[in-house]
Amino acid sequence: MDDLYREVIIDRYKNPHMRGELDPHDYSYHDDNPLCGDEVRIDVRVDDEDKVTEASFTGHGCAISMASADLLVESIIGKNLDEVKALSKEDILEMLGIELGPVRLKCALLSLKVLKAGVYGLESVEEELR
Amino acid sequence: MGGGDMIRRVQLTGFVANESPHKFEAGTPAIAEAIGLGAAADYLAALGMENVHIHEQELVSYAMERLEEVPGLTIYGPGAEERGGVTSFTFEGAHPHDVAQILDEYGVAVRAGHHCAMPIHERFGLPATTRASYYIYNTTDEVDRLIEALYRVKELFG
Repeated sequence: MDDLYREVIIDRYKNPHMRGELDPHDYSYHDDNPLCGDEVRIDVRVDDEDKVTEASFTGHGCAISMASADLLVESIIGKNLDEVKALSKEDILEMLGIELGPVRLKCALLSLKVLKAGVYGLESVEEELR
Repeated sequence: MGGGDMIRRVQLTGFVANESPHKFEAGTPAIAEAIGLGAAADYLAALGMENVHIHEQELVSYAMERLEEVPGLTIYGPGAEERGGVTSFTFEGAHPHDVAQILDEYGVAVRAGHHCAMPIHERFGLPATTRASYYIYNTTDEVDRLIEALYRVKELFG
């Protein structure tokens, strides 16, 4: 019962460790899932060797999406950008410690999508084309 | 795409479509579905639509009474006598999709989302609502089960 709502998920949802904005930042991206209303922005700062020194997120959504954003952002501190780019769906599920059906999987993966779009520089591409 | 009743004439270089509405009805018609619809109409007529309405009203009145007892729960829309057998609500501190998921684990099937009414959710500043519906096959015991599960949500998220 309540397997999806493991203590870590509820705890991260209620008391996130990594919530906030970083200004200035080296990478930032924002996206939402209009169908369920979930919204996530992730900011990242890196050092000269492209290693993540600071990262944070803001947004709103269900417990799964917010807990996964919090755990993901925490996990990338100290990683270099190549390692961040290599993060996969399986890494997120392992952090959450649950299995998800296709509908809730979208909640869990929104933050990974945002993070990857950020570090691949989608924001700068969008600005360039504006 | 063509077939069945939609064709009037076929030539090597093209075809001539049948007149409306036949040209929009390619292939085998929905025969089983039409017979099923007839059976459903017979079933409801035998129950009496007045009785269907009375049963729905009983359930939705009881549900609203019980839902109002749950602390932190907000119901949207008019009073029981002015609505059909549906109740959309939000729960303070818990996202509508999380509420639905937990109810599901208690065997209570509800819907979460915009319910094909996104503008009114934006009007109320809501990302979504959870919606429980009541119909002829539901009972007050099941409403009690919904309430019990909502208290479990409160325990987890409250």
